[in-house]
Amino acid sequence: MSIMKISPEAMHETAHMFSIDNYHPLTAMFGRDETASGLGYTIYMVFENFEKRDMDIAKAVFDPHGHLEYETLTKLVPAAAWFEREIKDMFGIIPKGHPDPRPLVLHENFPEGFFPLRKVVRKNQQERGKREYKMRTSDGEGLFEVPVGPIHAGIIEPGHFRFSQAGESMLQLDAKLFFTHRGIEKAVEGKTPDEALHIVERICGACSVSNTWSFCQAVEKALDVKVPRRAEIIRTLLSELERIVNHVGDIGNMPAGVGFNPAISLGGRLKEQTMRLCEAVAGNRFLRGVIVPGGVRQDITHELIVEIREVLKKVRFGVADMGIMFKEQDSFQNRVQTTGIVPKEVAVDLAMVGVGARASGFAHDSRKDFDYGMYPELDFEVCTHKSGDVAARLLVRLEELEVSFKLVDQLLKLLENCEDNTLKADLAYNGPRESWGISESPRGSNFHYVALDNEGKIDRLFVRSASYANWPAVPFAVTGNIIPDFPLINKSFELCYACIDR
Amino acid sequence: MSNEIIAGVLEIIMNNALPGVAQACIMLMCAPLIAGIINKTKAQLNKRQGASVFQEYFDLIKWWKKPTMLTPYTSWIFIMAPIIYFATSFMAAMMVPGFLTNTVTFGDAFVFVYILALGRFFMCLSSMDAATSFGGMGGAREIYVSVLVEPAVMLAVLINASRYHTTTLSHMVMNYDAAYFSVSAVLACLAFFMVILAENCRLPVDNPDTHLELTMIHEGMTLEYSGRLLTLIHLGSFLKIVVFLTLFGALYLPFNIPLVLKIFLGAVVIGIVEIINNKMRLFKVRVYLAAAVVMLLVAIIAQ
Repeated sequence: MSIMKISPEAMHETAHMFSIDNYHPLTAMFGRDETASGLGYTIYMVFENFEKRDMDIAKAVFDPHGHLEYETLTKLVPAAAWFEREIKDMFGIIPKGHPDPRPLVLHENFPEGFFPLRKVVRKNQQERGKREYKMRTSDGEGLFEVPVGPIHAGIIEPGHFRFSQAGESMLQLDAKLFFTHRGIEKAVEGKTPDEALHIVERICGACSVSNTWSFCQAVEKALDVKVPRRAEIIRTLLSELERIVNHVGDIGNMPAGVGFNPAISLGGRLKEQTMRLCEAVAGNRFLRGVIVPGGVRQDITHELIVEIREVLKKVRFGVADMGIMFKEQDSFQNRVQTTGIVPKEVAVDLAMVGVGARASGFAHDSRKDFDYGMYPELDFEVCTHKSGDVAARLLVRLEELEVSFKLVDQLLKLLENCEDNTLKADLAYNGPRESWGISESPRGSNFHYVALDNEGKIDRLFVRSASYANWPAVPFAVTGNIIPDFPLINKSFELCYACIDR
Repeated sequence: MSNEIIAGVLEIIMNNALPGVAQACIMLMCAPLIAGIINKTKAQLNKRQGASVFQEYFDLIKWWKKPTMLTPYTSWIFIMAPIIYFATSFMAAMMVPGFLTNTVTFGDAFVFVYILALGRFFMCLSSMDAATSFGGMGGAREIYVSVLVEPAVMLAVLINASRYHTTTLSHMVMNYDAAYFSVSAVLACLAFFMVILAENCRLPVDNPDTHLELTMIHEGMTLEYSGRLLTLIHLGSFLKIVVFLTLFGALYLPFNIPLVLKIFLGAVVIGIVEIINNKMRLFKVRVYLAAAVVMLLVAIIAQ
């Protein structure tokens, strides 16, 4: 992995060179404390390069005793907005001229001058304090605000939404998230990848395969390990199963926003069937514990292959039923069409990923953009729609389900014909290494960066989940819609709080 | 002289008020069952087993036993609104020509409509009283819906008023000929059913099962209530459904079957309609109710 080392002043120019006016999306931007090796604080900028099928990475080095400031990149690369705020919270490196200088992760109850990801801060260090966090509001005749959350009715994770309203129309939405920040990136420091795996698997319940896979890819790439073919097939299969579970659950959840009862029931039933299949495959309903650095822990037996085929055949019929139900219900179509539009320019500028991006006509799918798993050998299409509304996100999911069913068929055939029975390659740690991994979760690409120290222990883990990339687009999607449509729009993205509260 | 007055008053009470109260009490006893039947129908059609049809009774008892929480920022309106809401539903139940009040002369159609409006007015006031965001939104939407419902209900009443030359509900019922089957009767039947759905906050106008506060209409107004006040609101709503179904059965459903059967049939049909529809966009409600108004206008002309 080649990394360009630059000075803070050159960040602007480098970002401009890499992004080519946002043609290459910003995948991640994160800080790292390298004071131990005498380098100081660094900021990594990771841009996706479609042509090379690789990442362009540069790191800016800051002197810890000097001015921890740089000119903000947000005005050049809008997708950098959240990353820069998070780096400011975690390392205290200030982006000058940032359009939104509020804290992102550390809310009012943290003291000023507390930067948890610096190495001088101990794990489990208790800090309480007070700082300012102002919600964005609007002022004017007849305008009012609607605060919602952080505690919601129903079993939802915490998030505070502040709507600025003109009657029923939403003028502006400000979302305050990160209420349950768990400090996972700090917690895994000093652990071996095998120990950290159990924590990484639990970042999120919806995309635990994808998070684990990205993490393992990063570790394997850092240590130059070649994963056995059988393990790759099983990993890809699990990833597609995870996509099926989540897409079925998501399309079954969307009608709940409009009270379309039969579809809610059918969706719930199908999701339960797929989750039981997951339990048969992995021993748990979230497909955890199978993928490990170097390969997989358990095989998929012949009986399981038969069961997967049987269950998915039933689910496939159910999904087709659901598609018909959606198409034929005019009043449902009336609700989803032209609701919550994300224009393509917004999707590109904010470097959206996954379903959200593809529904806006931005064909961004890491299964096609990068070479990982079995995807280069498999035959599949990237599903895109142009309208960018709730209906488009629903259709993209329905079409991707069909693609996933076909992919599982192909993968099961590959698995049956695979002679090689090795499941896991051995890892050997030598010297400080760093690398990244990416995989396509049901919500979009999950990017992990791992740096290992001399003893093979984790020095820095950075997780950019799909939800992290897509959350900033939600306020754009809701503006101009009416507030009773917000639950539906929100459900159409189905973004995860746990993924960003890592 | 004074004896005559007392005797007159007593006679009115004996002939009008007592049967009315008795009838309202019977309807009140049955109201949670009707709500239970709607819920059971929905569950069964969703291929779920669903709760027992008597579940609403247990829920009401549960709420009644719970303490009533009041925020210190509310005024007397907050406490009075559920009582008035329940009382207006109860009065409507006394007036509606059902089982015992067919011979009674009070129960003017206009009084009936605006008594219910009074209850709704106080609920809307109370929704703003606690100054929470969801309550105010619910109240504003309730007013929006009721403004549109009002002409439809009035037209529905006028159809029968013009046919039987009276505005007294019981006189209409006495003259009502269930075998009278015409275009006008069918249109009035369909339109009045649409009005029932809107008036009682059922799908496709409002979703009674949702937990999504941002989409709520009626439920949004009741979010701040607990304990006995909540019980009164729910009882009032259940009673209102029965009142409307009774009126529907007595005046608009052109089949010659017993009224009780018509009410149960109406409950099942509400359940079915709630399953095959999803909630419409808030601003489409006016189209929906405009359709009801047009149907009623045609029904009047066709008569």
